[in-house]
Amino acid sequence: MKLGWRRVRFTLAVSVVFGVLLSLTSQTATFIVITRVLIVGVAVLLAFALFERWPKRLPRWLARSALQLVAIAVVIPPSAAFAYALTTTNDEPWYKDRGRVGGFARLTLTGLLFAPWIAVGALLKQRDAVMREQALELQLTRSEIERQALEAELRLLQAQIEPHFLFNTLANIQTLVDAGSPHASRVLNSLIAYLRAAVPRMHQRSTTLGQEVELARAYLEVMQMRMPDRLKFVLRTDPRAANVSCPPMTLLTLVENAVRHGIDPSEVGGCIDIDVWLRDDRCHIRVQDDGVGLRSGSHSLGTGLAALRERLQLAFAGAAQTQLLEVRPHGVCAEIEFPIQRQAQ
Amino acid sequence: MNPTAVIADDEPLLRDALERMLAVAWPALRIVAQARNGREAIELFERHAPQVCFLDVHMPGTSGIEVAQRIGRRAHLVFVTAYHDYAVQAFDHGVLDYLVKPVQPERLADTVSRLRERIEAAQPASNTELLIQQLATKLRQPTSSSWLRWIRASVGQTVRLIAVDDIEFLRSEDKYTRVAWRDDMKQPLEALVRMTIKELASKLDPERFVQIHRSVIVNLSAVSHVTRSENETATLYLKGRSEVLPVSRHHVQLFRQM
Repeated sequence: MKLGWRRVRFTLAVSVVFGVLLSLTSQTATFIVITRVLIVGVAVLLAFALFERWPKRLPRWLARSALQLVAIAVVIPPSAAFAYALTTTNDEPWYKDRGRVGGFARLTLTGLLFAPWIAVGALLKQRDAVMREQALELQLTRSEIERQALEAELRLLQAQIEPHFLFNTLANIQTLVDAGSPHASRVLNSLIAYLRAAVPRMHQRSTTLGQEVELARAYLEVMQMRMPDRLKFVLRTDPRAANVSCPPMTLLTLVENAVRHGIDPSEVGGCIDIDVWLRDDRCHIRVQDDGVGLRSGSHSLGTGLAALRERLQLAFAGAAQTQLLEVRPHGVCAEIEFPIQRQAQ
Repeated sequence: MNPTAVIADDEPLLRDALERMLAVAWPALRIVAQARNGREAIELFERHAPQVCFLDVHMPGTSGIEVAQRIGRRAHLVFVTAYHDYAVQAFDHGVLDYLVKPVQPERLADTVSRLRERIEAAQPASNTELLIQQLATKLRQPTSSSWLRWIRASVGQTVRLIAVDDIEFLRSEDKYTRVAWRDDMKQPLEALVRMTIKELASKLDPERFVQIHRSVIVNLSAVSHVTRSENETATLYLKGRSEVLPVSRHHVQLFRQM
């Protein structure tokens, strides 16, 4: 039961005020009237505070605030009677005295008239405080969610640039530089283009196929420098597809998979064929390799591709299709198609 | 007699670069061969029997670790790795030699002096079977979930990868399993997987796939409802499909808790 100082002070103050007012209508000494009002006031406060917490569970049709209001109304007459009984020092019981009964009636009525309103005021103030607390909690939760989203994005960004890829590539470039090779500059440019494009990718909600193709080209040039004897690639794209919208990393995911899971594990390597074409109102992307082929698995081929499927479904409201087919004698053909949406230049 | 070595790396630029750097750091060392992958590395080792082998860890086909296991202690091994991540802390015991790409001349010089000491003292190679086994375990890619996410299945004449999420139920057919799934356009389709239902049962996430019969596994998210049948068995109905699946007596208790 909460009987903070503030409440007690408030009750005392209000009781005193009413006591003074009531004593104007009575012949009894002011301090006695005040005492009587005080007793009622304290009883009301106790009732209010008690029913604030007890009983812990209420039937659904009963609001706690209603219970509190009823309680204080119910407690006023008996507490007033008690107040009178306490403060009447005559031989006669107070209720036999007309004047006193009148006073009792006035006290009870005043109580019943004003106490509920004061209680309502207190309840409203409480509700206000609760709402403000909830708003604050909501704000905290939201910033927590924002923070988590930011962290997830960060992790995604970090995951985009694979350390193995980066350091291997840099090692290769360093050898070219040391050897004074004329290719060093070109390859470095390709790497820079790839990094520049790959890093901010996830922030954008969509990119154009034209940019995706350039990104894939930069990536393949870098990989070809590293394994010139094992990687060949051909890019055939419809120029009209340059400003078609698609989620970032759409093409690159397929190309990376083809290299990582198709070509790299193969001792002899292979060739990657990339085709982008438009038919009717749909855009088609095909990435085909003649590497080691499909394997059932639980590994990252699944994760990158699964994420891509989800992003495609989200971006095109379920109108996108993804499929992975085996190629004879060995290799994989990954195909994506989705409706054409053009990005404003 | 000059010491000999074999360099193995799938990236030709890096092989040449290491050879050039070794010419400076260890002029007496003779590079007898360069291997493009693990298989070649083993072949060339058997042919030339060098004292030292530089092995790239990540190579197609047979990895540097597998090559090390084959060579054993017959040569001194130096592992070369692109990224010094936590798994590579296996090397930090200091017993196994390693180099990080891009190779720094100072680090190469350290490794070279260690090797020369051991060779001149006619000490055996430090790469015991145990150490290499430990290394192999540490470098194995950690998978967040070992349950299957993709399955290779035949659809008519073509073979495709089907996302396990899209599978609604599986039914055994002799040594193979018929898989009922939905494509991106929500069309119900069927495919054949070259694995027995028993194998699949052990590889599918049991939180999502439940075996309801000796020959049937169902994806819980595809279940519409289950009704009791005679002989304490039950019948399972799927969302959006006309097939009904039998639930054997043995498996009925799974649904009692639901």
